[in-house]
Amino acid sequence: MTSTDLEIAQPYTGEKARLSRAYDYLILVLALFLFIGAFHLHVALTVGDWDFWVDWKDRQWWPLVTPLMMITFPAAVQAVLWTHFRLPLGATLCIACLLIGTWIARFFAYHLWNYFPINEVLPATMLPSALVLDAILMLSDSVTVTSIFGGMAFALLFYPSNWPIFAMFHVPVEYGGAQLTVADLFGFEYIRAGTPEYLRLIERGTLRTYGQVATPLSAFCSGLLCTLMYPAWWFIGKAFATTRFVQKI
Amino acid sequence: MLKTIKKFLGLLGLGACCLMLAPSGAAAHGEKALEPFIRMRTIQWYDVQWSREKLNVNDELVITGKFHVAEDWPRGVPKPDATYLNVSSPGPVFIRTERYLNGQSSVSSAALKLGGDYDFKIVLKARLPGRYHLHPFFNLHDAGAVMGPGHWFEVAGDPATFTNQVKTLNGDMIDMESYGLANGVAWHAFWIALGSAWLLWWVRRPLFLPRYKMLQLGQENALITPLDRKIAVLMLAGVPLFVFGAQAMTDRQYPNAIPLQAGMDQIEPLPAAVNGLVKLKVQRAEFNVPARSLTIVAQIHNASDQPLQIGEFATANVRFLNPGVGPSREGDKDTLIAPQGMSLDSADPIQPGETRTVRITATDSLWQRERLDGLIRDADSRLGGLLFLYDANGQRHIASVSTAIIPTFN
Amino acid sequence: MSVTSQEIQPVAAAHVSFGPPWYLREVYKYLATFAGLTIIYVGFRLYQGVFGVSTGLDSSEPAFATHWMRLLYIELAVLAVVFPALWGYLWFTRDQNMDAMSPKEEITRYFTLTMWISVYTFAVYWAGSYFAEQDNSWHQVSVRDTPFTANHIIEFYFNFPLYVLLGGSAWIYARTRLPLYAKGISVPLTLAVVGPFMILVSVGFNEWGHTFWFREEFFAAPIHWGFVIGVWFALGVGGILLQQVERLTELLNKIEDAA
Repeated sequence: MTSTDLEIAQPYTGEKARLSRAYDYLILVLALFLFIGAFHLHVALTVGDWDFWVDWKDRQWWPLVTPLMMITFPAAVQAVLWTHFRLPLGATLCIACLLIGTWIARFFAYHLWNYFPINEVLPATMLPSALVLDAILMLSDSVTVTSIFGGMAFALLFYPSNWPIFAMFHVPVEYGGAQLTVADLFGFEYIRAGTPEYLRLIERGTLRTYGQVATPLSAFCSGLLCTLMYPAWWFIGKAFATTRFVQKI
Repeated sequence: MLKTIKKFLGLLGLGACCLMLAPSGAAAHGEKALEPFIRMRTIQWYDVQWSREKLNVNDELVITGKFHVAEDWPRGVPKPDATYLNVSSPGPVFIRTERYLNGQSSVSSAALKLGGDYDFKIVLKARLPGRYHLHPFFNLHDAGAVMGPGHWFEVAGDPATFTNQVKTLNGDMIDMESYGLANGVAWHAFWIALGSAWLLWWVRRPLFLPRYKMLQLGQENALITPLDRKIAVLMLAGVPLFVFGAQAMTDRQYPNAIPLQAGMDQIEPLPAAVNGLVKLKVQRAEFNVPARSLTIVAQIHNASDQPLQIGEFATANVRFLNPGVGPSREGDKDTLIAPQGMSLDSADPIQPGETRTVRITATDSLWQRERLDGLIRDADSRLGGLLFLYDANGQRHIASVSTAIIPTFN
Repeated sequence: MSVTSQEIQPVAAAHVSFGPPWYLREVYKYLATFAGLTIIYVGFRLYQGVFGVSTGLDSSEPAFATHWMRLLYIELAVLAVVFPALWGYLWFTRDQNMDAMSPKEEITRYFTLTMWISVYTFAVYWAGSYFAEQDNSWHQVSVRDTPFTANHIIEFYFNFPLYVLLGGSAWIYARTRLPLYAKGISVPLTLAVVGPFMILVSVGFNEWGHTFWFREEFFAAPIHWGFVIGVWFALGVGGILLQQVERLTELLNKIEDAA
């Protein structure tokens, strides 16, 4: 970026510029903890189990549910930051905050306090999807275009983004006379009282019409739902960002 | 605000100091909170044994035992169509390396049959040093954890020496403790770096007040520069290309990757170990609340060819023994045993072919300590358990007990 | 003691002072509050580390009563004092002459409100992120046998009330010290405070569900969605931001530029 870019985007000088910058920092700190706290709670309680455990990351429900629930806050935050500030970073900000919260919890809670190996509780990443979502909104400046192409890309990129992290946990092992993945073996060996095997919502249901190639179908289904979820959450974000004052509540 | 926070901190510090008393080890895992009728009438554990009490890191511990699935399964508890034989421990301080139900290896969940008899074997491997209380237990879908008897174990040694090597079907030996960690961290670090770069690219500029004002002035086009657009186009093209490229390479690296395995184990019950040659029908059961005493009047039929004596009544892991009948319990440290807890109206053995009405009394403070006296406040006030009878050769017969319960309060 | 805008005059631009600029009048208190809260939350986590496994696995044990139930009672006692004290202080020291407020004073108060909300979101972080996810982790180690587990005692009965306290304080601060918020009730600020407050209320639904409905630790289960809906209201912060930037840009036009 050249110095001209800064000058163009800065109507304030002197003390007012310093004041506005101080305000920026206050808001950034506020937003950082807000989105770690709020978005992480939303994700943990809607797709948490798939994200917590390596033996929940299946090819059917994980790629369906995760993008669907993770496109929510990014859309709502973009509705404010893009519309009113032309800042194309809402999605990346939310997902980055989520990952900060997730990694802290996995390390200090699951690993240090409760002895689970970190590799059993590796989180998934949606950062590639978020970067593309921000870029599409910025280049198109259109909720419709971002809903269709951004929403679809957000979901379609999820599984391939995470496959390089988790493929190696799908290597087969023979155990107790049966074929398991390494991920399944983590669930069996590392004892957890509250999440027995039968609780896993994996590889069930009727998304098998493409034979054994379930993942692309799940991803496209998620893409369709994300194209609907994105505008819904854009308007939720817009609605919450009302500037109204009322006399009575 | 600062003053308030200071006061708050001071109070909290004081409270924390008061609490810093030497902790004693917790001896249980919350089993007493489960309603008595669930503990008594679902999984009825017996003969649970442990191979050793003191171990070093990497040593094996074998837990064996048996259980009967009650016929009189409570109406409020979903049927055991999905269950998981688990171990209650303070997290993975042990790892579970093998598990068998009725001699059959089992790594997944299984359905149990009402009235079925099962035995189990769980092999654990010590991972972290410490003193731990372990129970075998069943996760019953939507019903909760039904605990088996617990026991203390001491693990010594260096946690750094723990190993968990597994051979994959590709022939590679992998260390489960670290497998995939460096790769996962590296990928996360890469994407976090890229995401952070995008965020920093924007937040280094004047943000909220100036940009809002520019927008209000209709100068929004100045907020996105041509360079910004070029970077966004690059990102839009580059990120998907990179992602799909990495996916293709990963596919080549792991051509034999398989989906997570979601099947259930099929375990058939053993030949009946309970309700074989001894039939029992309860006529009346009363629980005397202040005396902590259960009295059962039951008609017992002995279809074996030997005279039988009643030796034990067991319910929810509490065992009321008839002294002098059955195997010696000398030296048994099980805290859930009432060694003198059972009395009968007649000590005479039940003869082969005889049907006799017997008054059995099981009395001990364990009813209260284990919170089983709450059974009179259950919505399903019925009792379940196992009655153990022995012949002169030590041969054991087991009959299941199932009855409504009437409280007495005087 | 009440405070009026006339009593709090804007500080002159301090070219030689090493202190914070006038609009960051409360920055040290802000940073100290962050530090204090960090000590409390980290202290709780360390306490869990020391006493969780040794005394927190069974609610029927005497050691549980000593180390955990007593902690719960101390928390509740502290909160019972701090809630009325802080909210009462903010109310009784309200500005009763806001018409006389200078633009610089109003700007400063907007900064202070932002600090209040920032402290609120810091508490939301610990309640919504760390200790919330830790709940799943802890309930793999202990079998849930009480509503007051070693993590619930901190998460539900301290962290949740504490962010309600801080969010409510931000609301009262705005209502008692900023003209726009005094003349009307801010919808987004109210949403951002009341919605997450409903998360505390949802604890009842959660406990009911875990008792009669879900016995396992299925985090994405419907019994947890009361918490989820509550946290969506945190998006009201976007509206607070817009209310602030709109007013601040107006106020900046009213003050002279300084070098």
